[in-house]
Amino acid sequence: MEFSNVASQLNAWVIMPEGVVILTLLSVLLIDLIVGRTSVRWTPYVAIAGLTASLGALWLQWDPADPIAFLGGFSGDTLSTLFRGIIALSSIVTILMSITYVERTGTALGEFLIILLTATVGGMFLSGANELVMIFVALETLSISSYLLTGYMKRDPRSNEAALKYLLIGASSSAIWLYGASLLYGLSGGETRLTAIAANLAENADVPPLGLIVALVFVVAGIAFKISAVPFHQWTPDVYEGSPTPVVAFLSVGSKAAGFALAVRLLAAAFPLVSEQWHFVFTALAILSMVLGNVVALAQTSMKRMLAYSSIGQAGFVLIGLLSNSVDGYASMLFYLLIYLFMNLGGFTCVILFSLRTGTDEISEYSGLYQKDPLLTLAFSICLLSLGGIPPLAGFFGKIYLFWVGWQAGLYPLVLVGLITSVISIYYYIRVVKMMVVKEPQEMSVAIKNYPKIQWTLPGMRPLQVGLVLTMVATTLSGILANPLFTLANNAVVKTEMLQATLKSPEATETARAIAPPVATTPPDPQG
Amino acid sequence: MNLSEGVQLVSFGILTFLMLGAALGVVLSPSVVYSAFLLGLTFSSMAGLYLLLNADFVAAAQILVYVGAVNVLILFGVMLVNKRQDYRKETGLLLRQLLTAVVCFGLFALLGAVTVITPWQIAEGVTRVDSSVIALAKHLFSDYLLPFEVASVLLLMAMIGAIVLARRDLLMEDPETGMPAETELALPERPRETVVSE
Amino acid sequence: MSPGIDLQGSFIQLLTSLGLPPQLAKVVWIPLPLLLMLIAATVGVLVVVWLERKISAAAQQRVGPEYAGPLGTLQPVADGLKLLFKEDIIPAQADPWLFSIGPALVVVPVFLSYLIIPFGQNLNITDLGLGVFLWIALSSVAPVGLLMSGYSSNNKYSLLGGLRAAAQSISYEIPLALAVLAIVMMSNSLSTVDIVGQQSGYGILGWNIWRQPVGFLIFWVAALAECERLPFDLPEAEEELVAGYQTEYGGMRFALFYLGSYVNLILSALLVAVLYLGGWELPISVDWITSLLGLDPATPWLQVITASLGITMVVLKAYLLVFLAVLLRWTVPRVRIDQLLDLGWKFLLPVALVNLLLTAALKITFPAFFGG
Repeated sequence: MEFSNVASQLNAWVIMPEGVVILTLLSVLLIDLIVGRTSVRWTPYVAIAGLTASLGALWLQWDPADPIAFLGGFSGDTLSTLFRGIIALSSIVTILMSITYVERTGTALGEFLIILLTATVGGMFLSGANELVMIFVALETLSISSYLLTGYMKRDPRSNEAALKYLLIGASSSAIWLYGASLLYGLSGGETRLTAIAANLAENADVPPLGLIVALVFVVAGIAFKISAVPFHQWTPDVYEGSPTPVVAFLSVGSKAAGFALAVRLLAAAFPLVSEQWHFVFTALAILSMVLGNVVALAQTSMKRMLAYSSIGQAGFVLIGLLSNSVDGYASMLFYLLIYLFMNLGGFTCVILFSLRTGTDEISEYSGLYQKDPLLTLAFSICLLSLGGIPPLAGFFGKIYLFWVGWQAGLYPLVLVGLITSVISIYYYIRVVKMMVVKEPQEMSVAIKNYPKIQWTLPGMRPLQVGLVLTMVATTLSGILANPLFTLANNAVVKTEMLQATLKSPEATETARAIAPPVATTPPDPQG
Repeated sequence: MNLSEGVQLVSFGILTFLMLGAALGVVLSPSVVYSAFLLGLTFSSMAGLYLLLNADFVAAAQILVYVGAVNVLILFGVMLVNKRQDYRKETGLLLRQLLTAVVCFGLFALLGAVTVITPWQIAEGVTRVDSSVIALAKHLFSDYLLPFEVASVLLLMAMIGAIVLARRDLLMEDPETGMPAETELALPERPRETVVSE
Repeated sequence: MSPGIDLQGSFIQLLTSLGLPPQLAKVVWIPLPLLLMLIAATVGVLVVVWLERKISAAAQQRVGPEYAGPLGTLQPVADGLKLLFKEDIIPAQADPWLFSIGPALVVVPVFLSYLIIPFGQNLNITDLGLGVFLWIALSSVAPVGLLMSGYSSNNKYSLLGGLRAAAQSISYEIPLALAVLAIVMMSNSLSTVDIVGQQSGYGILGWNIWRQPVGFLIFWVAALAECERLPFDLPEAEEELVAGYQTEYGGMRFALFYLGSYVNLILSALLVAVLYLGGWELPISVDWITSLLGLDPATPWLQVITASLGITMVVLKAYLLVFLAVLLRWTVPRVRIDQLLDLGWKFLLPVALVNLLLTAALKITFPAFFGG
């Protein structure tokens, strides 16, 4: 390798969006250090401005001429650009909802922002990472900052417990992923770039695939942990319940999107040879996630726990798109993730607002909210109904698209399970909505009876209001005006060379049709 | 077989034996302190294996990072926790251990089979590098530049996070006097100034 | 510069001319320098102990040891023999295994670090490419031994001492490594021979101490802390902790700690000599003198003289530093544990980082002076 002209080959402009976020986090760190505690009034806006600038940089770099940067370490193709955009956007909304929350809990906001921004950087790098070492470092950046965020409320024993559980399970899943990656490295004769691995494996296609399958299983375990697919979901409910709510919001959207980006890139790029097997594994994961997530969510009494299980179920729906293995399939997945971003973050904004005013997360305490706070009720209802997939809202179109694509690809059992479980999900979403709009005053819960006067002028409430209205409007409008988002998602897939290369091979789609395993029925575990 | 090959073979045998024995000791030892010290032995034998593979820099780094930092940290953790607690007798422990052993052995058999039946592409005639440090550095500053740099962000964040978790901040104010409340451990810590809300 | 004498080559040549196969000759050679170094280090310790007692006495206006041998020079030997013949005691309820392994774990890495000390171009055990990094890695093992002996003694003072020693050792290793890194950056090599080679040619003016004054101070302070010398001898602060992790030790095991601490002191002094004071270089360049006298540097007798001068220089510089350490011991009061950690983390670490950055900048700006 010519060492003298490495700098010219790096093509470093591709990571400009991440660079902007890193600069932002450094400036937040320095401002917080120099100015002191009074800077918390405006550091969140610095962070938001930085993330917005990063989104702008992503916009400018849409479909670059040469997406491969750092000698194959990072890929800035349209797929990764869209994923990075989703993560940055989710981070913006998370910051909006976290300002008041963190201040009220008496912890430092500056460090919270720094760790959250680092998690964002990790997720963004993970979306574009094209090489095993890079994937691992990005994965760890995301994971370790997530552990820290989870345990951020260190005086709250639930937060400590959540962080410890998350750390232990996360570390072991990382270790398993690493073992799989090392097997891949060995099988491909010492390659770490995904494309080189795939090429080398294809050259030696006559070797027994046992090693490759073991590597696949190990790698899938790492990915499934990130997207919390059943049976790698055990951490989710406890972590969601214990950690600060804004963190839960970020984990359920940003971190999950990064996991899906990793899944698409790693599976499509490095495992085309065992396409049949990974489709089989993921079909099982998807069915289990949909069934268990949605059924167990029925029995929850805590709002955060319910949303945790619902997010497991939603991950199952998104997997249908991944399994369809077509342009439409990937596009539907991206489209759904975009919509899911708004509706889920909107839901969490409402939960935070409610808990800030009443101090509780129990579902039963929501009854009668309509009479005291119509705006919150409206926003929460829209987000929940959209998550359930009620027609004019965004979630409906997202789900229809996913199911349609799945049906086209011949994944009938998967789609059937999806349909049934989404009907189940509608039940528990509507239950909350119904509870909020009860008329009778005697059914009003204690928390609602003592509901404080709504004051948006209190310090820190404005950003929450902005986030609430923003997500509500986005959830409503992206349903009716879905076309731009749809085009965006479709373009992202069509213009990505890596996916095109995979989709061209006809046998991949054939195998996707061929396997249609019977619906796995698992006894739902009420506690997870 | 010439002399150096023989020496290498014998060293390999000794190191493997040490590493496996120490690793088993880590798992099976009833005393957590012994486990921690044996972990250090495992790491050191691993460093020896790296040396046999001509990876001297990696071996030294293994000693520095794993024995000198990770293991010492674990030992600190073990020794600073001042709690003597007898473990409760769990029922059905034997069955559980048996199941664990079966699962572990199955996994080992699977991975062993993978290792044996896979025709690994072993490079013929390994090029001998004069200095592994320079070879490593060239990689770190060319094709692995990005992970190398991202790792710095990771470490910065980990450091900040560790400080956030470890520092004892915000002495709670006594609601009546408005003075910082007395805590059991009264280190001279500066309470954080509160933001004046408008 | 001249390659100097090649003892290994000559020795192997001698044996092969006697009829041994070259491989076997090499095997015969390998333990010789190791053994020599071991003996040299131990004798060095005896000298240092004597020096320490004499200088301490002078500092306190006493006479010091005077009966054992001329000027009391045999006193350390007597001390050592006494320790050897003492009863081997393991305290009740102590952990016998850990109690015995602990001292060895403290001493062995220190002796191993002598692998990289050069006394001349070819007068070293081995010129490892890894060089000083090996020393840094090995010195990080010692805390494990300290914790082990502290824990196994079944004594609260021992445990506290062991924990303090490990904490101190870890804290000061970082500035130490950063100071070394600046040197390595200037020499473009980790090897100690190359580091000295880079300082040679200009006599005293070429030594690293002029280019790395801050690094020198950091290194010396951190090295003192690593050796647990006053003012950093908290782990065995006798007023607070009896004798720290050594409290329960006696006889041969105590002798190991004692030996280890002095061997470590000599090692640090030798490394300072090698890294900052030009190693075996004379204050006036030998090459310059020989060219002035019109002599061929390859002349055998000249080579022998240069080599012995080199060894003398290294040892002289090292003992000068040991003298400094002993003087410091009676000049500076002991620091508190929080002062110690503050000094390490809040002062030395940032300064070492700035020093490293500055060195990098200077290296780019003036490659001729700071190693291109």
